[in-house]
This record gives sequence, structure tokens and C-alpha cells, in this order.
Amino acid sequence: MPVTSQHARMPSSVCSIDILHLTGVKLKQAKEWEPKLLGFLCRWCSYAGADLAGTSRKKYPANIRIIKVPCSGRVDPLFILKALQMGFDGVLVSGCHPGDCHYQTGNYRARRRIAITKKFLEYAGIEPERLQASWVSASEAVKFTGVVTEVTKGLERVGANKLFADERQGDGTATAQ
Amino acid sequence: MADSKRINKEDIGRLLDEWSKEFSVSVPSRENGMPAVLPWDGKDTSFLEWYRNTVIPPKANFFPPYEKMFDFQKEAEGYHLELPPSDKQKYLIFGIRPCDARALTMLDTVFQDTYQDPYYLSRRANTVLVGLGCTNPYDSCFCTSLGIGPGESTDVDLMFTDTGDGFFIEPVSDKGRELLAATGGVEDTLEADEARAKDVKKAAYRKIIRRVDTGDIQQRLAACFENQDYWEKVAAKCVSCGICTFLCPTCYCFDINDELSQDEGTRFRSWDSCSFPIYTRMPMENPRQEKWRRVRQKVCHKYWFYPTNLDITACTGCGRCIRLCPVNWDITQTLNNLPASS
Amino acid sequence: MEQRLRSEVKALLKQGKIDRVIGFEPGSLKFTTTPLITSDGDDVDRLVINPFIVNNLSVYLTGTSGRVGIVAKGCDSRSIVSLIQDNKVLRENVVIIGIPCSGVIDLTKVERLAGKDRDELDDIVHQGDKITVTVDGKKKEFPASEALFDNCLGCEFPTPREYDILLDEPVTPTPDKAISEQKLDSLREMPQEQRWQFWKEEFSRCIRCYACRNVCPACFCERCFVEESEPQWVLPVPRWQDNLIFQVIRSIHVAGRCTDCGECERACPVNIPLRSLTREMDNLVEELFHYKVGIDKEAPPLFIAYELEEAEDLIR
Repeated sequence: MPVTSQHARMPSSVCSIDILHLTGVKLKQAKEWEPKLLGFLCRWCSYAGADLAGTSRKKYPANIRIIKVPCSGRVDPLFILKALQMGFDGVLVSGCHPGDCHYQTGNYRARRRIAITKKFLEYAGIEPERLQASWVSASEAVKFTGVVTEVTKGLERVGANKLFADERQGDGTATAQ
Repeated sequence: MADSKRINKEDIGRLLDEWSKEFSVSVPSRENGMPAVLPWDGKDTSFLEWYRNTVIPPKANFFPPYEKMFDFQKEAEGYHLELPPSDKQKYLIFGIRPCDARALTMLDTVFQDTYQDPYYLSRRANTVLVGLGCTNPYDSCFCTSLGIGPGESTDVDLMFTDTGDGFFIEPVSDKGRELLAATGGVEDTLEADEARAKDVKKAAYRKIIRRVDTGDIQQRLAACFENQDYWEKVAAKCVSCGICTFLCPTCYCFDINDELSQDEGTRFRSWDSCSFPIYTRMPMENPRQEKWRRVRQKVCHKYWFYPTNLDITACTGCGRCIRLCPVNWDITQTLNNLPASS
Repeated sequence: MEQRLRSEVKALLKQGKIDRVIGFEPGSLKFTTTPLITSDGDDVDRLVINPFIVNNLSVYLTGTSGRVGIVAKGCDSRSIVSLIQDNKVLRENVVIIGIPCSGVIDLTKVERLAGKDRDELDDIVHQGDKITVTVDGKKKEFPASEALFDNCLGCEFPTPREYDILLDEPVTPTPDKAISEQKLDSLREMPQEQRWQFWKEEFSRCIRCYACRNVCPACFCERCFVEESEPQWVLPVPRWQDNLIFQVIRSIHVAGRCTDCGECERACPVNIPLRSLTREMDNLVEELFHYKVGIDKEAPPLFIAYELEEAEDLIR
């Protein structure tokens, strides 16, 4: 089931992403580097909380791009790594508080998966600040703005994502030789 | 042979050095414990002690695991293609084995068949092959059953034979003859050298213990083609990975994929394998869904279909498939035990 | 053990308790065994047990029909239990013939110790804590800890805990975590950026043969994520970026099912140290969720289960 792309909020500095052809997407950089954060927000709690932050005119950094998922449990670690390959500097996964998941147990799955992924990616050599998770309920607009601000600050500290940049020409003869 | 030469083993480094002035020289190397043909570092000739054969076959130098075919941009009308810059570099591969060299000759037929593949052919044209005869074949080698031998020189430009203290050098092609004539530091040979080289080749030939009975192989395969029981038994332990096909010096199947981004992209070619379950998957059906069909096809392609269509056995007995298969599936066993009929 | 194995299997086949058996027979190369899958009682005499039975035969269980007798070492039996937990095979459809395992010999290590390739060795014998290698008629002894696979050296469950027949007395586990995790420790000591560079280099060699995935019993998806084309997550092209994503995600996807059998690393033709990823995953699973893979066939799989309170320190 593809991610609901019609709800992806993409500011104009990023060309609209053809969601079926993800491998070639490279995000264009603004003149001075600003972290690009991809947020997977669960539709029932966190997305509503972000929405509330907007309608309440609470400010939070515009560095975050949001993809609405039905539940935080929808997030496969594959999406996280894919986002990093595409050029995002960090990923935030946000869902309902434990016990409040609209689907009962979705966020428990997410918690296990995110915990494992976070620690494993750190072991593999990816800065831990690049994958963050939070529980934000539909009424926690302030918490949401706080989370995005802190995560963005963390990414500014860690710097631009150069993990998948390749200095070589992209020709397979390097492998063969 | 009138224009043969010889060289002492300790002078090989100097020889490669001299050739490095004109060519980008690649030699056997054992980085990460895995023998491969890699660009020479300018110093190390220790491969003379341990080299038997590589894991990745030299086909990878001409038909790499992946390569960029071109970049493309969408324009108002049609597409603009940007081909990779043509590689003017001249290459020299030192130490290619007769089985792998024969495989390249076979691949030439494939890549020149109805379409001249520019990527493969330009590299072939720019590369000099310096063969090195085997003195210590693996127990998985069976080139002698396929009309090749550990001293076979027909497919290289220059042939080196290890005579113990040095190498006996034979020019084979015009390219090789030219190169040898221009190479300094090689000595003329005596009759004794030639005789010694012949003995070494004979001894290596006898060391090969694995045999495949290739007599009437096409008819025998045809006779048991429908024998599902036999092929299911043969295929039972296969895990359908790509090792045998990717490491086979004569396998050539490839896949083409685009990496797209809005109006531009890159087209890549990469190795593909008929062992993969999705290899023949199409919207309507998959004719080789079952594993036994794929295993049967692989064997028949090499020993029946290819010889029938192009008069070449698509196997050179290098033995990589046997050595490196994670479940020790053995094509020689499969062929030697073919049932008489269905 | 071999004699008992053969007579037990013959009896099982004769009594119709199993339709076929999956075991090991001598391979076509020296010091090699190969899987034997047969329903023919005459083939049973070819079954062997020796220090070279490397394969994890449970990879053949997913998708089979009927009742199967399967030869399993400690790690293999845990893979079978894990498959039962995931409902890929029913317990009543397998007859597990357990082998208490004292470790399997890593031929790559022996080749390095002896200085000769596998086909140039005369004999390799494992007795107690010593390996004796005969080269050119001369015997050389090495401590077993230098010749067995890394994962065998750290094995906590050498004797199958889930079995129908146990072929010998249980083996006492003597896991040496330090030795078995040597490669992982050297990675942990590297600074973060260097670790990423390391994997970048390693995965530049990957040719995407998928041997690692196909020999793994935990990789039983009918359609792997790398085969998806809508959306296309990973190109089939073996660029290091795609290779890295493939392997990192594969390791995460098998979390909770990987029993550190080491087959992925052994099968890799280009010597990528895959166990350095999968073993760390095993460690994380145990550390974060106190879950040991393949011990309890009634337990829910790792990602189905949850505690009300856990890993909260990682969530804001």
C-alpha cells in the first residue's frame, strides 16, 4: 500500500516527487544549507497535533516535510533509509502515545521497530540524531513544535547528510577492477 | 617457436612496470581474501606464489556487474542522450587463465551477434590479454572435458607458461607479437625451454581429475528433457541465488533499469540471472516459476541450446560454480548422471 | 551418530511418519557436504554427520508440503522454531532430528592456518578442542578456537532444545563472546564516520547475487522488497548505495528470526563480513527486548509481541 502521497506537503524548493520512482530523486539544496527533515506523522494523533499547531499559529521550523501515514506502525525502516538516501538530513516518526493507538497496538510495533532501527543504524555508522521518534497526541500542538525545533537543532549540529554521496563516477568498472 | 621468449620470475615486476607505461595493467590480487583481477599497485608480484584462479571472472572487466549506459534528459521533443565519455585508455590483463580467455572468445560471439555491443566491444578492442597457463588446477576444474586445457593459448594475445624458474612466452595474436617485439628485458629461448614448457602443459593437463562425459550430450539432454522427476531431484537443494551465473565466465544475461527523477535519469545495465525466480516473470505468466525448470534451463542452455544455435559449448570448465555454490550443486554430477530417458 | 541417524530415518520413512528427509551427504569437493533431500529409502545410507555440515537446512522448510524429517544442529533447530512461530511450517509436519553440535569447521580459516587451499589438504580432523590438519603427509595441530566458525565459538545453544530425536548426549555450551565478536568489536571501536566508510568499501564488492538472502531461513518473503518496482525502493543495480540499503534493511527485517547460523557470511562469494551486521542485530534484540531467538515455539514473534513499557528512553 503506497504512502498517501496526496497529503505530502512539499514546499516549492523541492520538486514534486513522483512517488513511484523513488530511486532517482535527489533533493535540491537551497543556497545556504538548512536541514531537511522528513516527518512520518500518524494520521490520528501526530498529524492532528501538527495541524493544531498550524491553526493555533504556533511557530515551528519549516525544515520539516510531512508525510501522513495511517499509523506510526506503518513505517518500515526501509522508508527511513530511503529518505536518507534521497538526501533528507533526518527522519522523525511520530505517533500516538502508548495505549492510545487508534489501531490498538500499531505504535507498540513502531516502538520496537524504531528502537531497533535507531540503535542498528548507529552501529552501522549513521549519526543517531538522524532518526528521531516522538509520541504526540492530537492536542499536543506545543509538544509538536518543541519536538520539531529540537530535532532540527540536532540536525544543524550534525550537519548535512553526506552518507550516500558518491565521489566516484557511478560506473561499475570500479567494482570489477 | 621462432619468436618465443623467456623471462625469469624475479623480473616480472620490471616487465609489468615497463608495460605500465603504455597500459593500465591489471593482475591477480587477493584483497579481502578474495582473488580478483585488479589494477596493479606497481609493486606486488606475490600473486605468482598463490594465484590459481579468481572468484570474479575476467568477464567483469569487459562486461562489468553494472555500468552506466547513458544519462538522458527530456526535451521539448524527444530525449537528449549523454553517453559516457569514450575510454581511450589501453588495458592489459596479466594472468588470465585459458578457461576465462576461451570464455571471452565465446562472449565475443554473443556481443557481436545481431547487435554490436559498443560497451563490451570497445573494451575488448582496447585490452591486451596476457595468458598464464595453469600449473595447479583446482579439483573443481574440468576444462579438459571441453576441448580446452590448462595450457591452451588460442584465446590470448601472449601466453606465459610457468617453467619453474621463469616463464616461457609465446606470442599468439598479431597484437601479442607486436607487444612482445617491443618489450625489453626478455631473453631468447632455447629448444630446452620449449620442451620444458610442453612438459609443464602436459603435466597440468594430467592434474585435472574432474571429467564430464560430453559425448552425445545434446542428444542425452534432449532424451531426458521431460523427465521432471530427475530435474526436481537435481534442483531440490538449489536456493536460486545468482552465484553460479554471475561467477560463470560465459554467462551474459543482463537487466536494464532506469533511475528516474522527473525529467531526467540514468540508464544502467547490470547482471541478471536465469536462476532468479522473477527472471521470466511476465504480466500473464511465469514459464519458469518452478525451480526445476530454471535449473534444467541453465544446464540445457550451456550444453544443448547454445551448441545447437551457435556451435559453442557455453561452459569452459572453470569450476567456479562448483567451488562457490553455497550448497555444492555440481553441474558435472548432473551431467554425468543424466537418465537415459523420461 | 551417523549409524543411528540412518536407521532412524529409514524407520521413519518406512512407517510413513515422514514423506522425505532433509539431511547432509558428502559433497563433490573435499571437506564439503551438500544437502540431501530425498524420499527414497536407498538414498538414506548416504546421510553423514561430520564437522563440515555447514548448511542451515531449515531454509528448505518454507513452502514444502507433507511431512519432513530434518537434520538440525543447535542453530538450525532454533531457526525451525522461529519458522514455527511465524507459521511458515507446522510443528506436527516436521520431525526434528537433532545433532548436539561441537562446532563446524571454517575452511577459510583452515586454509589460512595451513597455508594451502582446501583441495591441497590431505585431512582435517576435529577432536575435542584441537583440529589436526594433514598437509603433504605431515600433521599440524591447531586449537579448535582458531578453526571453527566465529558464530560456533560464541554459540549458547549447541544442543537443539526442540527435537523429536536427539542423536547423542547434549553438548555443554562454552560460548566465548569475545572471540566470536572480534570483528564486531573492532567496528565498535571505530568512530562513526569510519564505520560507514568501512561498509561503503565492503558493499562496493557486492554483486547482488542474493546468496545471503536465499540461504537464510529467516528470509522467506515470497516477494522481497528489492523486487518491488512500484515503488522501486532499491535498484537491481549493484551500486554500493543500493547494496548497503539492501543489506541493512535485510538485517532489520530478519531481526528476531536470525539465529546467527552464519550461512549468509559463508555463502557470500566476495567475502563481505555480513555477520558483523546480523550478529549485532541479535545482540540488540536481546538487549532491548530480552528476546532470544528460537527458544520458545509458543512465544509470539518479536515484532508481534510488546511490553507496555519498553524502549521509552529512545522516544521523545
